[in-house]
Amino acid sequence: MIEATSQTKTVARPASASERTSLGGFALLANAVLLYTFLYVPIAILVIFSFTSDQFGVRWTGFTLDWYARLFANERLMGAALNTLYVALISTVASTIIGTLTALAMERYRFPGRSGMDALLYLPIVIPEIVMAVALLAFSAFAFDLIQSITGTPIRRNLTTVIIAHIAFSISFVVVVVRTSLKNFDRRLEEAAQDLGASGWQTFWRITFPLILPGIIGGALLAFTLSLDDFIISLFLSGPGTSLLPVEVYNKVRRAVTPEINAISTLMLIISIALVGLSQLAQRRR
Amino acid sequence: MKRWIPLLAMALVMLSACGSAPASAPASAPAASTDSPSGAAASGDVDTSKLAKELFFYNWSDYIDPSILDDFEKEYGVKVTLDTYDQNEDMIAKVRAGNSGYDLVVPSDYAVTTMAAEGLIIPLDKSLLPNISHMNPDLLNKYFDEGNVNSVPYMYGISGIAYNKQDFPDGVDSWAALFDPAQIEKYKGKFSMLDDERESPGAALKYLGKSLNDTDPADLKAAEDLLIAQKPFLAAYNSSDVNRKLASGEYVIAHAWSGQAIQAHNGLGDEFSGNADIMFTMPKEGGMIWMDNLAILKDSPNAYTAHVFINFLMRPDIAARNTEYIGYLSPNKDAVDLLSQDIKDLYAQGFAPDAEMIKRLEWAVRNEKTTAFTDLWTVVKGE
Amino acid sequence: MRPYGPPLTHGGPTMALDTLQKQRQRSSRLRLAGLLGPGAFWLTLFFAMPLVIILLYSFMTAGPRGNVIWQATFEQYTTLFTKDIYVNAYTRSIWASVLTTLICLLIGYPLALFIARSPQAWRTPLLFLILIPFWTNFLVRIYAWQIILSNNGLINSAFQALGLPTQTLLYTENATLLGLVYGELPFMVLPLYASLDRFDFTLMEAAADLGASRWRAFLRVMLPITMPGIAAGSVLVFIPTIGQFVVSELLGGAKVDYIGNLLQRLFLRSNPPNWPLGSAMAVVMMGVLMILIMLYFRSTTEEDR
Repeated sequence: MIEATSQTKTVARPASASERTSLGGFALLANAVLLYTFLYVPIAILVIFSFTSDQFGVRWTGFTLDWYARLFANERLMGAALNTLYVALISTVASTIIGTLTALAMERYRFPGRSGMDALLYLPIVIPEIVMAVALLAFSAFAFDLIQSITGTPIRRNLTTVIIAHIAFSISFVVVVVRTSLKNFDRRLEEAAQDLGASGWQTFWRITFPLILPGIIGGALLAFTLSLDDFIISLFLSGPGTSLLPVEVYNKVRRAVTPEINAISTLMLIISIALVGLSQLAQRRR
Repeated sequence: MKRWIPLLAMALVMLSACGSAPASAPASAPAASTDSPSGAAASGDVDTSKLAKELFFYNWSDYIDPSILDDFEKEYGVKVTLDTYDQNEDMIAKVRAGNSGYDLVVPSDYAVTTMAAEGLIIPLDKSLLPNISHMNPDLLNKYFDEGNVNSVPYMYGISGIAYNKQDFPDGVDSWAALFDPAQIEKYKGKFSMLDDERESPGAALKYLGKSLNDTDPADLKAAEDLLIAQKPFLAAYNSSDVNRKLASGEYVIAHAWSGQAIQAHNGLGDEFSGNADIMFTMPKEGGMIWMDNLAILKDSPNAYTAHVFINFLMRPDIAARNTEYIGYLSPNKDAVDLLSQDIKDLYAQGFAPDAEMIKRLEWAVRNEKTTAFTDLWTVVKGE
Repeated sequence: MRPYGPPLTHGGPTMALDTLQKQRQRSSRLRLAGLLGPGAFWLTLFFAMPLVIILLYSFMTAGPRGNVIWQATFEQYTTLFTKDIYVNAYTRSIWASVLTTLICLLIGYPLALFIARSPQAWRTPLLFLILIPFWTNFLVRIYAWQIILSNNGLINSAFQALGLPTQTLLYTENATLLGLVYGELPFMVLPLYASLDRFDFTLMEAAADLGASRWRAFLRVMLPITMPGIAAGSVLVFIPTIGQFVVSELLGGAKVDYIGNLLQRLFLRSNPPNWPLGSAMAVVMMGVLMILIMLYFRSTTEEDR
């Protein structure tokens, strides 16, 4: 991500942070500090209260690791967390690839039906989650009946149906972000490369891809985040015994939040950070 | 592409017409599946050769003691996989879409009627449920499933007022404690009402001395005004974590289900221990009674195993343990005898109905007229 | 890219021009199909088709048991447009979403700018820091806000320690707004950053050299160029806010209905549920939003064409 942009940006950067900007710079910094605090106070509370001995998890009454011990013994929650990560990973990879391809098609080509496709792409962003959940549930009922009448084997909702649905709503978000980076893209760079004899494939990998990579990564992160958090669609499209974490948490939180929920949230946080960190490392190596 | 859309739409309409129309055969033969009982098992003995390996149980969250599932597996070698829901309508939507994969569900009273009418649940084979003899006859054969054809009671509860006796040393005996402006002003922002279109309007109707099934427009308007007048004083409409908010002292009084009050008083399993100051009362004007029931889904391939499991849940020792854990009331009269003294004491203090209180309780029926409550609730929420 | 090099000329004259063009056209069409195919397929099958069902539902009759009766009617739409309660829910939701979007833009733009102007090595970590909180469950985070805002919560405890009176913070419309901004902020910052990252900051220097004030340079140079990011961010924030229901339930105390709450109730909470009415409500809402979005994007994309 960094390497790609630095080629074009290092030129633009140097003198810009001049003395004139000190006041504005301070305001920017202050705003940033405030917002990061705003974002992290609830997270801090969540993490801290996963170690509290208070059973309601609302005040600090002493340090304990009990909640983590309980959590590791809780197969349901652990299984749900694994299912959630699995779904998020697969749907993120798939929707990022499909979304990037679609964004390229939409930005680079004129074709009949383009505005129809445009509309189709905005729909998943516009649709309230609950409506999509209901629609997909009804659709899965038709589709399953159809498949059963053709093949004779009954099928059930399972993690695959959840993944299919997550990909369906993530694609659009990836497309929006990737298109933003394609819009500000200087096409002359590609033309120059091709004029210098690069094939279309080479041009894409050497020029286009590195330049839109920040957008792709941004889109992928959005998709990952959306998938991790999705609740209603997961509730409706999951099958028996394949519960997902947001569903478990929703049901539990509504009865009584215990620090066990804080503990699993803390763990998920760590795992997500580790996953993204690893992907960054891998990318840097490349 | 555009040409395809009407075509698709047509295909979908046709498909759905045959797919989702209710099978309109409520009297379909009981347990037509392959593992239906043979005469030999009718005595109540379990034919273990007919048991499935796994049973899928779709239940409300925190609505069964998990150790009971372990015991069932130990005893019968059947693993019970539990998934949870939060609302009858969530469950029905998923079941109605077909191939849900679940064997057993826990619909509330009115939801049993709905599911039976839609052919989503099958008639039970009573010969496989000898433990039904332990049930309280007063709670069998209710309006929503006469003769208990499709369901057996699982847990029931009543909706009244839970309060903290530190703040109400003289106790509470009337809905006025939640509706009288002079009283609620003192604990503004520290009480909640159940977030349900039948519960809160029902309570208001009771306070007005009406039936909670009253759909007379003038009475509904009066209830609506009462709820709107109450709103500025209210902390929240909440039917989910009232137990915790009472126990932690965030609410001093709340419209609550008896089970939530018991959980607030006694704690919930090992999730949290309770606050002994929390009490429960059924106001003198009366209130709601409701019941959740066990039922077997039509598309369950394991109906026999599901019967065995239901029968297991009705065993008095199991039902008693479950009741202790969950906190709701058991319709199993022999289980009630086995409850700990602590719980029995609470029951005596009004957490459970006695012969006198029963008279004040009313079931909330659903029919075409009661959709008026949806409108009423939308108006209240729209203010 | 290179300052000097061979003159840029197109291929030799050996191949007939029109065959070359045809070949190019064909390969270009193939490439388009390859690019567009997967997305179009997936969205049509798993999105458009399910949506057609909702559209159909909205013209059907509600059954007495929460089922859908296949009997065509306009009843749902008449109900929707004639009853105040529904109209009010729309206006309330739109207002809340406008506020949320504006606040997110107002605080998100400087944040994106701050990140884009940070030293190269810092930018990625700063960006990730914005997203990390969102990898914990949303409900749990909103619950954390309950702990902060409640009557005996952290803020009020601090007030008490300082001898100040307890403030009612939780279960207010402001608490809802705070939760919404908290939940949507990254969806504003990410696209903003994506466009600011491409912004050539020397343009600002140039504007300054030409005598423009910094504010003027911002308005005339930076803002227009980053418009696609602003548009994308605003859309990504505005839309989900309209359909939300969890925040208003947990932080607003479920006291007032937003469209999301109403939809949730019509589909899953009323007994019996009314799927046709819920579908009609969703169709109207999506229709309005689609028009808004298409207009929004069209205006911003035309600018840089």
